Amino acid sequence: MADLHLLAVEIMVAVFGLGLLVLGLLVPRSDRRGIGYVTAAGLAGIMVITFAMRELSGVFMGGYIIDPFSNYFKLAFLVAALLTVFCSFDYIEKMGFNQGEYYALLVFATLGMMLLASSGELISLYLGLELMTITFCILAGFHLRDPKSGEAGVKYILLGAMSSAILLYGLSLVYGATGTVVIAEIGQVAAASGSTPALTLGMIFLLAGFAFKIAAVPFHMWSPDVYEGAPTPVTAYLSVASKAAAFAALIRVFFGALAELHSIWVQLFIALAVLTIILGNLVAIPQSNIKRLMAYSSISQAGYLLLGIVSYSVLGIGAVMYYCLIYVFGNMCVFMAVTAFYNNAGSDEIRDYTGLSRRSPLLAAAILFAMLSLAGIPPMAGFVAKLYLFMSVISQGYIWLALIAVLMSMVSVYYYLMVAKSMYLGAVPEGSKPLQISPGLKVAILASLLILFVLGIYPDDLTNFAMNSAVTFFMP
Amino acid sequence: MQDYGIVLIFLLGGAATAIGALFVNWLVRPKRPAVGDKLEAYECGLPTEGPTWVQFKVSYFLYALVFLLFDVEAIFLFPWAVRFQALGLFAFVEMIIFIVILVIGLWYAWKEGALKWL
Amino acid sequence: MITLNHYLALSALLFCIGLFGALAKRNAIAILMGIELMLNAVNINLVAFNFFLDPSRVVGQVFAIFVVVVAAAEVAVALALVINIYRRFQDSSVTDLNWMKW
Repeated sequence: MADLHLLAVEIMVAVFGLGLLVLGLLVPRSDRRGIGYVTAAGLAGIMVITFAMRELSGVFMGGYIIDPFSNYFKLAFLVAALLTVFCSFDYIEKMGFNQGEYYALLVFATLGMMLLASSGELISLYLGLELMTITFCILAGFHLRDPKSGEAGVKYILLGAMSSAILLYGLSLVYGATGTVVIAEIGQVAAASGSTPALTLGMIFLLAGFAFKIAAVPFHMWSPDVYEGAPTPVTAYLSVASKAAAFAALIRVFFGALAELHSIWVQLFIALAVLTIILGNLVAIPQSNIKRLMAYSSISQAGYLLLGIVSYSVLGIGAVMYYCLIYVFGNMCVFMAVTAFYNNAGSDEIRDYTGLSRRSPLLAAAILFAMLSLAGIPPMAGFVAKLYLFMSVISQGYIWLALIAVLMSMVSVYYYLMVAKSMYLGAVPEGSKPLQISPGLKVAILASLLILFVLGIYPDDLTNFAMNSAVTFFMP
Repeated sequence: MQDYGIVLIFLLGGAATAIGALFVNWLVRPKRPAVGDKLEAYECGLPTEGPTWVQFKVSYFLYALVFLLFDVEAIFLFPWAVRFQALGLFAFVEMIIFIVILVIGLWYAWKEGALKWL
Repeated sequence: MITLNHYLALSALLFCIGLFGALAKRNAIAILMGIELMLNAVNINLVAFNFFLDPSRVVGQVFAIFVVVVAAAEVAVALALVINIYRRFQDSSVTDLNWMKW
């Protein structure tokens, strides 16, 4: 008998997802709004249990790793999922979606990410990745009557499947080069044999596949279209959690299995990071749709996260972990406000945001402060997160890299503030009414803003935890 | 390095042979424009009547998808069935859980009307 | 005598053909067919590595089974999404999918 208690969280999430699916069938169509509340309550419960079990660690059947690193990421996914559910109540009721399916898919996507963060061998890594990608494809194309949503779904599944195939070819080469699929064993075999051509080639395929998933330039083409077309709550979840999950898996594979080749892949990641940061920030400037703007902004965030990988140090991994959580709160906060605005005004265009500060001070403040956090302005939490990332690359001697990143952060402040300018200085449109926001969403927005402030002023506990979790990757 | 040289010569020789053959063919063949019977499909059955791109019911596609999924999931059952004795109770329980999940899926397809014959 | 290298060459060729098909074709169904070729190339790789390097453990074959199943799920979802678009526009060419910038 294996240690099933290690899998407690995953089993709970899986059963919960299936339960929601069944619930959606049993409940009559008129009462399905309740499913959203059930989902929120269930996810909150699982989150509390996960938090209580955060010290749990062990290896299940040799290939599934439960450690502080994976528990940290699981908590981040659950937080993102919970905020997404809050975001979804009004939105999907308006769209007339089949709610049982929608929430069940959200939960299954979360399960896929958890598998991804915990996987200690390549098969479960692949399964987690596909579970996440396929459910996101369905969610992106969920709005059947909207051609944009259908287009987003098709684009995401075609490019997602292609990137999975590339990644898989890399996995097969790594398996062939080392004769095992367990990440720790791959690391040992690679350390003994040095870098062989097959392993190097596999590493390059893996890198391309992961770059697709995190939307790093030049593998980013899908993300603006998918982000714009998908239903807004799905965009929010896709932009934060799937990126964090891909980073968790990337760290496991590249620091665990391919550490021997780090002199090669660090060079490649530097190129990716520089391109991603520069292009993501520059292309964001002329965008007129807020979801597209956030898509390019999140591309550039992936570039900053890559800096932590480039530094190849404990500080770097810790910084990536911390940044992921801050990014979850910051991005979700913006997207919750965008959803609330869409529910009232039916538009995502930035020009319709003029005078928002007088129509709804809360939404305007939420967008402003969350964007300041994303840009890395003190005292918001984003500042500390960026500081750690830049410190990690500077400590490895890449001062020019940090310089580019800081410069491009300044550029990002410009386009974030353009939105703020239109919200605070623009004229209120004729005949507009104050916005109606549901109390649940209000509380969620306020809570994430509060967390952004608190973590900006007292980051120590969280960063210490992140750094301590990161140490495991550098123990022999 | 010398071995690769031989490969290169082979490659060049092979490419030259193929291209040369095509070129000679092109040189010596009679050049008559394609008119009349030359454009007919050659011994490919009867000529088609009406448009060939007819629509068939999309609902068939739904059965095909549902069938495809359940058909492929069965792949997991075969290795387990072959080693049933050796794997024991734990694997048996696991498989029951797996099948229960599949049944929930089937039930879902049923309730949503994917199996209704139109 | 067919060696591991033969299988690897076959799979590399198949992968390249699939990748070319996925990148060059403009029809969503054709792109999916290209992706299927790529996945089958991976399966050949996995099974060949398993047979030649480590026949006693069936890790590669198990991996291949998972790839087959996941590919089926992927194709089912992709076909459903394409059919949804097709119903509306009677066309499955990706060049026409341009409500947003491609």
